[in-house]
Amino acid sequence: MSTLTQARDSARRTRFGLAWVRRGPAGARRGPARTAEARRTTRAGLALVSPALLFAGVFTLFPLGFGIYISLTNWPLIGPYHFIGLSNYTALIHNSVFLQSIVFTLEYTAIVTIPIFVVGYALAVFVRSNRPGTSVFRTLIFIPYIVGLVTESYMAVVELQPGSGTANFVLSKLGIVSNSTAWLVHTGLATVAICVLVVWFASGLTMMLLMAGMQAIPTELYESAKTDGASWWMAERRITLPLLRRSIALSLIVSVVGSFLAFNQFFILTDGGPGTSTESVVMSIYSTAFAQFNVGLASAMSVVLVIVVGLITFVQFRYLQGDSA
Amino acid sequence: MTAVAARRDSQSGRGGQSGRSGRPDRGQRLLWYLVAGAVISAVFVIPLAWEVFRSFQPESAVSAPLTGQSFSHLTPANYRALLSGQDDIIRNVVNSLITAVLTAVLTAVVATLAGYGFGLFRFRGAGVVFGIVLLAFMVPFQAVVTPLFIELHFLHLLNSLVGLALFYTTFSLPIGVYVMRNSFLQVPTELIDAARVDGASVMMTLGRVLRPLVMPGIATTALYAFLFSWTELLGALSFMTNDSLFTLPVALSNVETGTYGSVNYGLLLAGAVIAMIPCVIVYVALQRFYVRGLVSGALKG
Repeated sequence: MSTLTQARDSARRTRFGLAWVRRGPAGARRGPARTAEARRTTRAGLALVSPALLFAGVFTLFPLGFGIYISLTNWPLIGPYHFIGLSNYTALIHNSVFLQSIVFTLEYTAIVTIPIFVVGYALAVFVRSNRPGTSVFRTLIFIPYIVGLVTESYMAVVELQPGSGTANFVLSKLGIVSNSTAWLVHTGLATVAICVLVVWFASGLTMMLLMAGMQAIPTELYESAKTDGASWWMAERRITLPLLRRSIALSLIVSVVGSFLAFNQFFILTDGGPGTSTESVVMSIYSTAFAQFNVGLASAMSVVLVIVVGLITFVQFRYLQGDSA
Repeated sequence: MTAVAARRDSQSGRGGQSGRSGRPDRGQRLLWYLVAGAVISAVFVIPLAWEVFRSFQPESAVSAPLTGQSFSHLTPANYRALLSGQDDIIRNVVNSLITAVLTAVLTAVVATLAGYGFGLFRFRGAGVVFGIVLLAFMVPFQAVVTPLFIELHFLHLLNSLVGLALFYTTFSLPIGVYVMRNSFLQVPTELIDAARVDGASVMMTLGRVLRPLVMPGIATTALYAFLFSWTELLGALSFMTNDSLFTLPVALSNVETGTYGSVNYGLLLAGAVIAMIPCVIVYVALQRFYVRGLVSGALKG
C-alpha cells in the first residue's frame, strides 16, 4: 500500500508540480554580459506579450473599470448622465426581476451540474482506454458541444412545438406526455426541457476533461491494485478519484460558471417567459441595457455578476483543490 | 489490507460464475463494447442527423403532426427559400465567415506571440504581466457586454465585423495563450540554444525553427476561435443593429421571431443545419489537433 501512495505522490508531482517552468534562452545566465543580455530578453519578452496585454486591457480591463464607473451613474444609452452614487445598487436589492433571475439561475445551475458531471464521468470511463472504436465514439459524443447551444436551441424550438414536434411524438408514443404538451410556455416544463438539452450538449466537454485527467494516471497503479486483488470499483475510488481531483475541480468550475452565465438557451427557447420566470441573470442584464436602455443599472448588475462568478470559482477551486494545492 | 482481501474473495466469486461457462473471450467483449459505443454515440448524433433529415421536409410537414406520410416527400424547398429571394441569409453566412476567419487569424497570431513570450522568455515583470492577463481572462465576457457597447460606440466599432472580431479575439485569447504557452514549453531547450548560437533573431527563431513544432497548438487555437465566433449570439446581438451585418445566429433569431406573427419552422431548421455544417466539417477534419490541444491547455493551466 505504501508503494502505491508513493507512486501516487510522484505522479501528482510530475503532473502538476512543475506546471509553469520558464526556461529562458538567456536571462538566468551569470557573467559580465548578463545585464545587457537580460535587458534584451526583457524587451523581447515584453514586446511578444504586448499584443495580448493590449487586448486584455482594451477589451476586458478597461470595460470592467468603465462598467463600475457607469454603475455609479444614471447612464442612458444616449444622452447626458450624472452621478447617483450607489443608487443603482440599492435599487437592485428591491428589483424583484433581477433577484428572481439570480434565484432562477442558481436553481438551474444546481439542477444541471450533477447530471452533467455524472454523465460526463460515465462517458469518460467508457472512452478513456484505447480500444478499437474508442476514438470514433469520442468524436461523435463531442459533436453536440462543437455544434453549439445556439444552433441546437433553434432546432429544439421546432421539436418542442405541441402537435408537430418530435419530442412530443416520441414521448406520447411512450405514454409519458400527451402530444399537445406545450413545453415552452410553462415554467417547469420549459426548465426541464432546457436542462435535458444542456446535459446532452455539455456532458461531452466534461467527458473530455475527465478523460484527459484519467489518462494521465500511470497504468502501473491499476496493475498493482489488480495484483492486490482490488475490484474495479475499489481502484476507481482509491486511485482514480483522488488523482483526478484537479480535473474534477476544473470540469465543475467550467460547468457551474457556464450554467450561471447561461443566455442562449433561455433567450431562444423561452425568451425568459412565461413572464420573466425563466429569465437568467445575463438575460436580465441584456434586457435592462438594450430593451430598457438603463445602462447604469445594467452595469451594476454586471458588477454583481463578476463578483458572484469570481466567488463561485474561488470557492470551488479552494474546496476541490484542498490538500493537493 | 483486510478490506482488500475481502474484495479479492468477492471478486474471485464473481469471476467464478463466468469461469464456469468459459471466460467470455476477448472478441465477444469487444463486440459488446462496440454495440454499447454505437448506442451511446447514437444518443449524441442521431438528434442532429434527424434535424438534417427534417430540414428537407416541406414546411407544411415540419409544422404538422408526424405521420407515416411525413417522410414520403423530401424537398430542398426550405434551403431554396432561405438562399434566394430578398431576405436571403447568404449575406449572413458571409458575415459569419468573415468574422470567424478574422477571429481565428488574429487569435492565432496574438496567442502565438504571447505563448512564445510567456513560455520561453524569462524576464523581469513577466509574473506581473502574466498576472494581469490572467486576471483579465477571469472576467466573463457576458459581464462586460454593456460597457463594451459604449466603448465600441466611441471607437466607431459598433456595427462593424472588425469590431466583433476584436471582441471574439479577446475572449478566445485565454484558452489560446494557455495552449500556445504549453506548446512552447514542450520545445527542447537545445533547439533554441542552437538557433541562438547560429545568430538567429527572436522572430527568425520563431518563424524558421519553432513554427513547425508549435503548429498543432496554432491549429487548436485557430479552430477554437473560429468555433467560438461562429456560434456566439449575445455579443453579435448586442453590437450589431444593422440587418445587413447580422451574423448567422442573429439572423436565425429573426427567422425564429417570424414575420407577421407566423413562424416558418422549415426555414428555421434549414438555417440551423446551415449553421451546423461548417462546425462539424472543421471539427472532424481537424479534431486530432482540437481535443488534445484544448484539454492539455486547460489542465496544465
